[in-house]
Amino acid sequence: MLGCQDFCGYYDWSFHYVRRRWGNGEVERLWREAIGGDSQKHYSGPAAESGLRALYKTWVNTGEDEHCDWTFTLDEEKNVLRWDMRECPSKGFLIQNDRQADEDYCNHCMGWIIPMLGSVGAELTAHEHNHCGQCWAEMRMKDRASEPLDLPIDIRKDSRWNRGYLDVWLNDQRQPHAPGLSDSSDPSDALEAWQRATAATNLPIVTDVQYNHPAQYPASPRAVLIGCPPQDLNSTATRYFATDPAIRPLLLHAYLPAESFIDFIASGLPRPLPIVPLLIRKKQYVHAPGAVHPTTEQFLALLKAALGAK
Amino acid sequence: MSAPDFYFAVNAIFRHLHDNFGKPALVDYWRSLGREYYRDRIERWREGGAQAIADDWREYFLKEPQAEIEAVARGDLAILDIRVCPAIKHLRDCSREIVPYYCEHCDHVCGSMAEAAGYVFRREGGMGACRQTFEKNSPVEGESQSC
Repeated sequence: MLGCQDFCGYYDWSFHYVRRRWGNGEVERLWREAIGGDSQKHYSGPAAESGLRALYKTWVNTGEDEHCDWTFTLDEEKNVLRWDMRECPSKGFLIQNDRQADEDYCNHCMGWIIPMLGSVGAELTAHEHNHCGQCWAEMRMKDRASEPLDLPIDIRKDSRWNRGYLDVWLNDQRQPHAPGLSDSSDPSDALEAWQRATAATNLPIVTDVQYNHPAQYPASPRAVLIGCPPQDLNSTATRYFATDPAIRPLLLHAYLPAESFIDFIASGLPRPLPIVPLLIRKKQYVHAPGAVHPTTEQFLALLKAALGAK
Repeated sequence: MSAPDFYFAVNAIFRHLHDNFGKPALVDYWRSLGREYYRDRIERWREGGAQAIADDWREYFLKEPQAEIEAVARGDLAILDIRVCPAIKHLRDCSREIVPYYCEHCDHVCGSMAEAAGYVFRREGGMGACRQTFEKNSPVEGESQSC
């Protein structure tokens, strides 16, 4: 029997199955129709009657069932329903069990929530998640003005927010993942766009081990793959900031689910772009839970193959 | 204890795949899920035999809300008596429309796991209570056992 105890694990696997067999559009349709339109009727039914208050009650009940470490805040005067997730139990299951079958598990929430909100006259004002179990969102009824909340429990004020890489939504729309590189909201598309734009420079993509030894690798590379774990984040940051901003390399990282979380922000570096979604999409990598994972050098070879880079 | 509303999503995913891609696609999804996602459990079953299969299911159902089951091993046979299927119970309690082929997921998910571990899966009953068996797949007489 397929139980509920390991649901999040085979939910992630199911997204990957649908994506590899029928494509990205069908995963989005699964989230929209099967989850948003069928599974989560206990959200949309009451919300159609009493709006944000009903959504608040349903989400609070779900949070109790799933043992969520989060805070839901309803301010009807400001027309805002907000959550601040400190430890998502769903993503937490994948982290705890070292699982990542699909390119991006966290996106399924927006995949069903935005269509569900639309069906009850509400909308998503803003949302961010860091792929490490922390996220926040604000929602409102469409027919009234709203005002964002300023809360002491805003997850962005928590040190855990520095983990991972961010996906951002504004007014129901997913925002460009790396605005300087591409208009695409998809990190894999952004990486491929970057490859097309920079391949002609013939500058290399290197590991952080190489980058941290400028005597051996004096030329500034196109990109640096920071290892899991990083070889020496301070050395990487020192060289990065000593480089003319116009030719600083793109930073990349695998963000493996069970790795110790790395605080790139504390070292002053921007959050690196994720490479695993592209590797999965290009069939270069299957994450094997609990196995010995590829070294940074092996990941670099997989990335080059995925990008068709030298 | 796990959150039973996840059974809503299980039921909805089955319906979605069936209605949009057809029954063979749904069966392929189930069988692939068994083989790929549950690779670790298959390995434990292969190594530990019927006793491991019975122990695995006993432990699994302990974490499923409102489940009532008995799992035993007799020689090369593991028997799982599901008196209260937690998924069907929760879906019914919440007045959800259960897809008529819901129970078939066990035939294919558990069936593909059993096959990969060297066992044959059978189910009697369904829609709330059933008996499932995992019997060692003995080679047919005269059939070569070499690879």
